[in-house]
Amino acid sequence: MTDTAYEVRQAQLDDTDDLDRTEVRTYWQLVRQRFVKHRMAVLGAITLVVMIVLALVVPFIAGDTLSVSASRSFGEPEIMNVDGEVTLALLGYSRVGQSHFGLLMAATGTSMMIAFAAVLIIVFIGIAIGSIAGYAGGWVDNLMMRFVDVAISLPALFIIIAFVAFWGASIWTIILALGITGWTTAARLVRGEFLSLREVDYVQAARALGANPRRIIIRHMLPPALAPIIVAASLGVADSVVTEAALSFIGLGLPTTVASLGTLLNIAFEYLNREPYLVLFPSTVLILIVLAANFIGDGIRDALDPRQRVEGQ
Amino acid sequence: MLTYTIRRLILSIPILFGVALISFLLVYLAPGDPLGNFRVPNVRPEVLERLREIYGFDRPLHEQFFGWITNYVQIWREDAWGISVTYRRPVLELIAERIPATALLMGSALFFTVIIAIPLGLLAAVKQYSWADKIVTTFATIGYAMPSFVLGTYLLVIGAVWLGVFPFRGMTSSLSQAGDPLDVAWHMVLPVASLAIQSIAGWSRYVRATMLEVLHQDYIRTAKAKGLGRGRVNFRHALRNALIPVITLFGLSLPALLGGAIITEGIFSWPGLGSLGFAAVIQRDYPVVMAFVLLGGITVVIGNLIADILYGVVDPRIKY
Repeated sequence: MTDTAYEVRQAQLDDTDDLDRTEVRTYWQLVRQRFVKHRMAVLGAITLVVMIVLALVVPFIAGDTLSVSASRSFGEPEIMNVDGEVTLALLGYSRVGQSHFGLLMAATGTSMMIAFAAVLIIVFIGIAIGSIAGYAGGWVDNLMMRFVDVAISLPALFIIIAFVAFWGASIWTIILALGITGWTTAARLVRGEFLSLREVDYVQAARALGANPRRIIIRHMLPPALAPIIVAASLGVADSVVTEAALSFIGLGLPTTVASLGTLLNIAFEYLNREPYLVLFPSTVLILIVLAANFIGDGIRDALDPRQRVEGQ
Repeated sequence: MLTYTIRRLILSIPILFGVALISFLLVYLAPGDPLGNFRVPNVRPEVLERLREIYGFDRPLHEQFFGWITNYVQIWREDAWGISVTYRRPVLELIAERIPATALLMGSALFFTVIIAIPLGLLAAVKQYSWADKIVTTFATIGYAMPSFVLGTYLLVIGAVWLGVFPFRGMTSSLSQAGDPLDVAWHMVLPVASLAIQSIAGWSRYVRATMLEVLHQDYIRTAKAKGLGRGRVNFRHALRNALIPVITLFGLSLPALLGGAIITEGIFSWPGLGSLGFAAVIQRDYPVVMAFVLLGGITVVIGNLIADILYGVVDPRIKY
């Protein structure tokens, strides 16, 4: 008899059918599985990643074809030019000989860069105001929320237009204008989460142990409050891309020498009578970004919600 | 109801005060000198100093702000909101003059939104997962993702460039036709369509969601179990409750419509409030810019108030 107690136990376990043999999955594994199930969100994520990669890579490949040249005026679509250099001018050349596709991807890069930077500011201000108001509660919360009420009542688009017009249009003023007007939703969401979290036992315990407020906020309350922040951030990207495009489109944003989705639309609007198809390129990218960001936001919201279950769980 | 309205109006005073302060700071902190236009070689420095004193630019920030805001509340005086630098006319008068054009545009857009979005949303909810539902949902998602200025440009390409049947810009074809209702309506088609399509997308999504929520409630199951016809259940029992939250959208969409006016009126050169605000920013017509920011705040406050009051009117469960 060489059976050890361990092997006996194993044999017993193998006999039982009613044991749950599902692998133990961590919270983030579950989140990932729920997100992957959301087909539109996955599609949105792929679209966004592809666009970011193209926006980073294509302008380098396109190189010279981004500059003005009379010899390329209204050139046909091509992947390589006559010299055998890869140009990726998939959409042909404009009236001044610039590669439509190269310019479009450079513009996508500018617009996304602005949107991501603006969302960083939005998230930072949103977390700062929302967490302090939600953690402190009482009159601090009351006062800060009245401030948020004022900020919500402002005509945001008009303030952005005026701010950028008065301070001079540049990438930085646009980012700043988007950031300081867009944080209200994030602040309210964070505050709501914090108000309920501060009553939770483990937060009370941390306080009883004498942890200082900064540690409680950053280590104990921020991680579980991340879900609404991430959702607000992905919707903020969509909003910021649209607002930047609107600004540049009406001629108050970036100068037309900088390629962004808005400036391309602005130029396309000039040629509306002769080359109406020009509108199609930047606006399609714009709509795709907004759709992708919205779907990703929906997907993340559902994925981070533990009440949504994964099959086989 | 009356006391509730009054209480709400009093509570909105601090918010409007905050909006006014930010509006003031936006202009006060802007780089550049308000007397920049006078800074030419043949103006002596003493004259500039004198102007500075007359306009009160030498006084401290809080004095300037309170001086400005005390003028602002005296709306019975025609120059209460200042004099436009560009037009040399009272700002209040300019705004009053532009309201009808904007109201016409927004009112029509809202009208078409309501008569199209509500049936669409109901259809999608009642026949959930049918092809009709899929078409409405797809349209709503794309319309929601399409910025108003992109939609406006598309409509211009289709309606004015390809078909060539609609005018490019403006409100009237010529001065002699000013005020001709048919001519104005013809000019309104594209801007109203661009505003309406976007809000139809948002509203139909919302109507669909609220109707679905109501359809899943117990009393609807009871009504069905009693043997009532589908039409009676859907339209007598469900519809009434589903429309309660929708009605509040009226008030809440008011500020969004004013915001959308800036871009849409810009694209179609519609002579409304949006164009006024837009031109004021470009020409740095500070009195008009400040008035516009405050007007935005007032619209939000009034919109929210309308939403809350309507909610109480249509929902007997809510008592003030």
